[in-house]
Amino acid sequence: MELNNEVIINNLVKRFDEIVAVNEVSLEVPAGSIFGLLGPNGAGKSTTLRLLCTLLRPDSGTASVAGHDILEEPVNVRECTGVLPEEGSHTLYPSLTSYENLEYFAKLYDVPEEEAKKRIEDLLKFMDLWERRNDPAGELSTGNRQRLALCRALLHNPSVLLLDEPTSSLDPIAAKRVRELILKLAKQYGQTFFINSHNLAEVQRLCDYIAIIDEGKILLSGRTDELRRRLQSKQVFKLRVADNIETAKSIAEGLDFIFDVSIESDSLMLTILDPVSNNSVLIRKLLNANIAIIELAEEEMTLEDLYLQVIKEEEQ
Amino acid sequence: MNLSKSLVVAKADIKMAMNYKYVKFGVLGMGAMGPLFSVLSVPMIYILDPNASSYIEFILPYISSMLAMFAIIPAALISANSFVGEREQNTLEPLLCTPLTDMELLVGKSLSAFIPSILILVFGTLITEIASNILLFAFGFPMMLIPDMPGLFLVFASGPPMIFVVVFVMIIISGRVSRVYEAYQVSGVSVLVYIFSMLVPTMFIGSSMPFGQVIWFTNILTFMISILLLLITSYLALRMFNRDRMITQI
Ligand SMILES: Nc1ncnc2c1ncn2[C@@H]1O[C@H](COP(=O)(O)OP(=O)(O)OP(=O)(O)O)[C@@H](O)[C@H]1O
Ligand SMILES: [Mg+2]
Repeated sequence: MELNNEVIINNLVKRFDEIVAVNEVSLEVPAGSIFGLLGPNGAGKSTTLRLLCTLLRPDSGTASVAGHDILEEPVNVRECTGVLPEEGSHTLYPSLTSYENLEYFAKLYDVPEEEAKKRIEDLLKFMDLWERRNDPAGELSTGNRQRLALCRALLHNPSVLLLDEPTSSLDPIAAKRVRELILKLAKQYGQTFFINSHNLAEVQRLCDYIAIIDEGKILLSGRTDELRRRLQSKQVFKLRVADNIETAKSIAEGLDFIFDVSIESDSLMLTILDPVSNNSVLIRKLLNANIAIIELAEEEMTLEDLYLQVIKEEEQ
Repeated sequence: MNLSKSLVVAKADIKMAMNYKYVKFGVLGMGAMGPLFSVLSVPMIYILDPNASSYIEFILPYISSMLAMFAIIPAALISANSFVGEREQNTLEPLLCTPLTDMELLVGKSLSAFIPSILILVFGTLITEIASNILLFAFGFPMMLIPDMPGLFLVFASGPPMIFVVVFVMIIISGRVSRVYEAYQVSGVSVLVYIFSMLVPTMFIGSSMPFGQVIWFTNILTFMISILLLLITSYLALRMFNRDRMITQI
């Protein structure tokens, strides 16, 4: 099936003097899907996003957004994209009210006046900011400013949304509402989302597609469900025993479905292949050796573990 | 190029700059200063010294230079906010994400400084002419053009290009200064051109050349300097004004 890709990135490169912030990045985001670009600090996420919204010019490579080339038709690209810049809460006019901030951008995005009024009201109400519409943006809390910046990105009903860490600085309830809104907009209205984040849990929950970037390079990319399967096929467990931790370690090392055994304070960290069928084997072996098990618990996969695992797999 | 978009930007920039007290009082104060200074000086001199007509021509050149100078400072105040202030408060990035073209943005931001300054220039001069003559008339002195013809030439020929020079200097330096007040001070230096038009005539006092000719000569020279500055700064500014550069320098 031919997928209609709203964002297509081809070998994009951006250098800042010595640093190659974005290094031969290629990605595709199908229309109506939610894409998450994950990576540690300085990985090149924000630079990639700024290239897509035509703020920066690439040194080489091409990209198109909503069918428009970022170099050939930058104005069209900007018309069809809504952008939440990094630290969005700091990108509002502090002396203008919440309402005026949105009103100004509605004009710049050519939203007809009547429609703008309605959309501003709907968005402010949705984000619980309607009561604060006449307060200067500079007097809002960081989280409220972040929500206002999100309203600004959604204002002109763009077909592609480029959001740089949209839920950073939001409280859990607000973050959940924003995730729900993103899901609704993507699934009901077919808007496409390109989201930067370092929050793996959030990206896993929200995104249809994920890519991991580090030092400007894409380490892996694919459908979230496929990556999740790949992650779940090998998982890290934490084993706590009452004593004899060395014996437990040598037992674990002797099992062919266990990779990577290490001692962390009073526990063993084990990477277990297919834990669903293999954990019971491990437990039986330990019990047979009279080792008192206090706990065998699944370690939550952190972004770091995922990187480490991806990097290790690349090497093998 | 859509002028109405530029006007939206200009309007917002003026409004936001005026939200700062020092800009508001700076612009209003400068706007009032020129006419106040001019209106008070010539009629006052006449009132204090009925024989003033013998030397009044030496004072008139200052009036036009002052009017132009005070009209240009507001452009520096506002453009410092609309160019450097926008970066200082991180609002440049979302602005550059809108469909505005570089040209619409440049025109909008330039107009935000140009409109208030040109209003001050035109109305300041007009008020000076009218108010001075009301005073002269009230005290029974002959009515006269204040500023005189060469003065009006200086104000209206060199004033508008110099307002643009201030804006272009702002664009050129905006990548190198990070604070609004620095930007304002640096671009404000452009007003020094009127020190030239004030100083040159004094060097000819007592020379054989008729003073009226000296003034015309000076003011035409000042006008030519302002055009030269306009050409140089506009060339540099237009080359430097692009998105990539503005963002990379954040
Ligand atoms: N304007 C700039 N000038 C010079 N170097 C830059 C500039 N912008 C980004 N970089 C460099 O490019 C690299 C990638 O930065 P980028 O902001 O894209 O990272 P990021 O993945 O968004 O990180 P974070 O999670 O911290 O936001 C970093 O090494 C950064 O120092
Ligand atoms: Mg970033």
